[in-house]
Amino acid sequence: MLKYILMMVMLIWSCAAHAASDLPMDDFAKLPILHEGRIKPIDSFARIEILKFSKKEKLENENAVSWLVRALFDPAEAAHDKIFLIDDTEARHLLGLEERKKPLYSYAELVPGLEKTSRQVEEILRQQDRQKDTSSEKLLSVHENALEYTHILRSFSSVLPLNIDLSPEWRSKADISASEQITFKDLQKIGTEIEERVRKIIRKKGQNPATYTKAEQDLVTIGWQLKTISDAGQRNRLLRVIPINDDAKYASPWELINEGKGSPATEDIMQKWIALSAAWQTKDVQAWNAALEDLKAEHSGDATRLEMEVLYNQFSLFHIAIIFYACSLCFAFAYLAGLHQSLFKISYGFLLIAIFMQMIAIAMRIYLMERPPVGTLYESILFVGLIAPVVSLFVERRLQNGLGILSGAICGVMLGLLASSMIGEGDDMKMLGAVLNTRFWLATHVLCITIGYGWCLLTSVLAHIILFGTATRRIAEPARMEMVKALTTHALFSLLFTTVGTILGGIWADQSWGRFWGWDPKENGALLIVLWLIWLIHGKIAGQISRTIWLAGMGYLSVIVAVAWIGVNLLGVGLHSYGFIDGVFWGLGLFAMAEFIIIGFLVYKINLSEEKKIAD
Amino acid sequence: MRNFSEKIRKIGFRLAHPDILFWVLPFMILVLVVGTIAQKDLGILVAEQRYFSSFFYFLGFVPLPGGLTLITILFINLLAKFLFRSEWSWTKSGIILTHFGVLVLILGGGLTYLTSHEGYVMIGEGEKSSIVEDYHQRVLVIKDAENIIYQMPFEKLHEGQNIRSPSGNFTITLTEVCQNCGITRRPESEQEGWTSPGQFMKLNDKAADPVDEKNMAGLEFEIHGLGAEADGKYLTFDKFPKPPQFKSVQQKDVTYTIAVERAKRTLPFGLSLKKFEQTFHPGTDMAKTYQSELVITDGDKAWPVLIEMNEPFRYRGYTFYQSSFDISGDKPYTVLTAVENKGRIFPYLSTIIIALGLILHLCIRIRSRRSAHA
Repeated sequence: MLKYILMMVMLIWSCAAHAASDLPMDDFAKLPILHEGRIKPIDSFARIEILKFSKKEKLENENAVSWLVRALFDPAEAAHDKIFLIDDTEARHLLGLEERKKPLYSYAELVPGLEKTSRQVEEILRQQDRQKDTSSEKLLSVHENALEYTHILRSFSSVLPLNIDLSPEWRSKADISASEQITFKDLQKIGTEIEERVRKIIRKKGQNPATYTKAEQDLVTIGWQLKTISDAGQRNRLLRVIPINDDAKYASPWELINEGKGSPATEDIMQKWIALSAAWQTKDVQAWNAALEDLKAEHSGDATRLEMEVLYNQFSLFHIAIIFYACSLCFAFAYLAGLHQSLFKISYGFLLIAIFMQMIAIAMRIYLMERPPVGTLYESILFVGLIAPVVSLFVERRLQNGLGILSGAICGVMLGLLASSMIGEGDDMKMLGAVLNTRFWLATHVLCITIGYGWCLLTSVLAHIILFGTATRRIAEPARMEMVKALTTHALFSLLFTTVGTILGGIWADQSWGRFWGWDPKENGALLIVLWLIWLIHGKIAGQISRTIWLAGMGYLSVIVAVAWIGVNLLGVGLHSYGFIDGVFWGLGLFAMAEFIIIGFLVYKINLSEEKKIAD
Repeated sequence: MRNFSEKIRKIGFRLAHPDILFWVLPFMILVLVVGTIAQKDLGILVAEQRYFSSFFYFLGFVPLPGGLTLITILFINLLAKFLFRSEWSWTKSGIILTHFGVLVLILGGGLTYLTSHEGYVMIGEGEKSSIVEDYHQRVLVIKDAENIIYQMPFEKLHEGQNIRSPSGNFTITLTEVCQNCGITRRPESEQEGWTSPGQFMKLNDKAADPVDEKNMAGLEFEIHGLGAEADGKYLTFDKFPKPPQFKSVQQKDVTYTIAVERAKRTLPFGLSLKKFEQTFHPGTDMAKTYQSELVITDGDKAWPVLIEMNEPFRYRGYTFYQSSFDISGDKPYTVLTAVENKGRIFPYLSTIIIALGLILHLCIRIRSRRSAHA
């Protein structure tokens, strides 16, 4: 079947071989598409798709939108784009792919391997507990991606010119002049008749084409080609770009044909897409722009939102913020190393710019998604990545020694990188499931608990800095005392937000499900942070633990937060389960172990120096 | 008398000592971690019963205090601290308020633990119901037509147990009791004395599923005393569509049914489902909302209500929320979870008190630091 699909893709007239790559893409990028429950600009769709295939937001020499246009209007060429990143050796072996320095492969290269492994994939799909085997997961993912890619390649196969010969008799029946190019849509008029004639030929002469006359052979070939294109269009619902009514509903070109969603209005819009395709293939900038203008006019929704999302994609403010956090970190280190006083101001400036950018980016997301900023794990990382640096400004205001900036920049960089590592999972502006579809609780419980996480992480980083400064004797005693006092205040703020956030979560549960506490792993995780903080705070007040152990406990708060925030989801139990993610599990384990060793070493050094002091 | 109050004070002081809290909290953290990880294999219900709602549990062969013990100690410690060791001054007011909030929270939790009931109501479109079925509690019931004449909680049943019917005209002897039954084919050599479908089906005890709702409780039993026609070996299990039925020899018009069912409670009012609706995010099969349009009937009053995700309906101490549905059959069914909780006001109160307490404490702390610097 896959071979036939590839052949079908090749059938589509490759007159676009000389197609323009210099057509203006800005307006095309802003066209609306309904994808994964949300109307987004084509720019976002293209980035999500290419990211899914190649783990990058663009090809080596081409941006996502240009690639998509080519895939839509010249699928024959796009089938040879080396776009699929297959980084698992066993999956490559199973697919029979040659080894390369960069494991990127084209759809055409994948086809034989996909056919060979289709049985195996069916078997994997039947297995219930298939998360554990990485290679099986990778193989399945290649198949899913390839299928999605074929949907993109075939999106306009009903209206793109076909490279087939049609006799004058059939041309006249289909009202196609000799100079006109043939499309599947044109042939629909004579499709039933061709089908009937082919059936008659087979009934009369059997299935061996050698026994047919030349005219019969041509007819059977056309019939087969039409059927292949039609079969390949079944369930092709990926490119929903044709608005079908006022209720924000869109259909893909094939849905109009196969599911009867067409109307005179959709036919008009299809004509505009055909005009766009023709303009792209002839490099006609004027016609291209005119077709885009016409298509833009068809979208009755919020054009500003689409433009805003394109801007959001293009500027990638979160990535820029990471760079500024990193700059702030470098300058803070340089200042603390005693290089120059002015470095403090530069570091402070970079931190403020980074925070501002992150704020703007989060505000844009709120506007685009029309809901509070945190609804998914990725969004919670972005938000915590803002809170921790903001809190560090309060720390700096109190300490005024650069350590506040340092802690904020560390949090900014670490959380920024963590968020970047999560981007590979696809669309980062997902629609929320029914249970999360509540703005009030997203704005109260979720924000409160994520502020708590951010505050805890900043507290933890500060504790690390105090431990390091004490162990290396870089912080003088009065400054250390002041920092410990500041740390106590921030531990109390952390307790305030995590406690109130946890209880608010319980109240959400009570409001929505009639019960306050259900021992769900996420609830338990949040309670774990609260208990940990209460234990440390009361242990210090009661004199049960030394200041060093208290600092170590505050330092280890980062691990407690990581377990409560991300770790409990790995159990795959309860309402907040995201499934078992192998990489995250090992990453978390490594982080906990590293923290244990680092903090343990610093405590050992401090104890050693204190013993030495007593001995002296 | 003075000696007595002095003694009470001394005990109170000891009970209020912060070292109790300091040693209780690590055990609490441990039970929380162990109980949470255990949920992966045991499911939430069993893990909750074994670790959080128990007085002790075993970690390997080491007995450790369970959630109930720890919360009780924590409550006593905090109450004693509140009563005997609180420094009733403005500077400590935030701490006192916070501690009081935690006491209210634990009290509310205790009340909820003792008084709350949870079950579900399943209603088909156009149907009416006032029956709440328990999610977990199964019972053995003997029915005379549709009337339950005897019932016993499933966990009290055991193999070899004899149960005499209330009318006294027959006895049931339990030969197999399984919390989660697997069904296999009964070997030919064992088929004698069995009536269909037990003649061909055999119940075997298998490991409990972590999700308790998936467990299929069942029984194999013998009947004596109903005469040669009805006496024999039978089986029945949870949600079995055709539980065994017998006619009494003495009273020919009486038909007994023996079944394993979910424990049921009757609501003091009725719910009729007018319409169940599910909406999706456009172009996806991802649900956006579920909602049930109902009519509540209480005595001679009737009024419409709408229950949807995050928008439950509360009436006469019950909360109904949209928890599930079934649209696979001829008509849609809605599944509403019904919760009765007398302690639901406490978390609201405690949140306000704790939040106020912590904010007050932080304000006082920051202010005193500023005045110290000034």
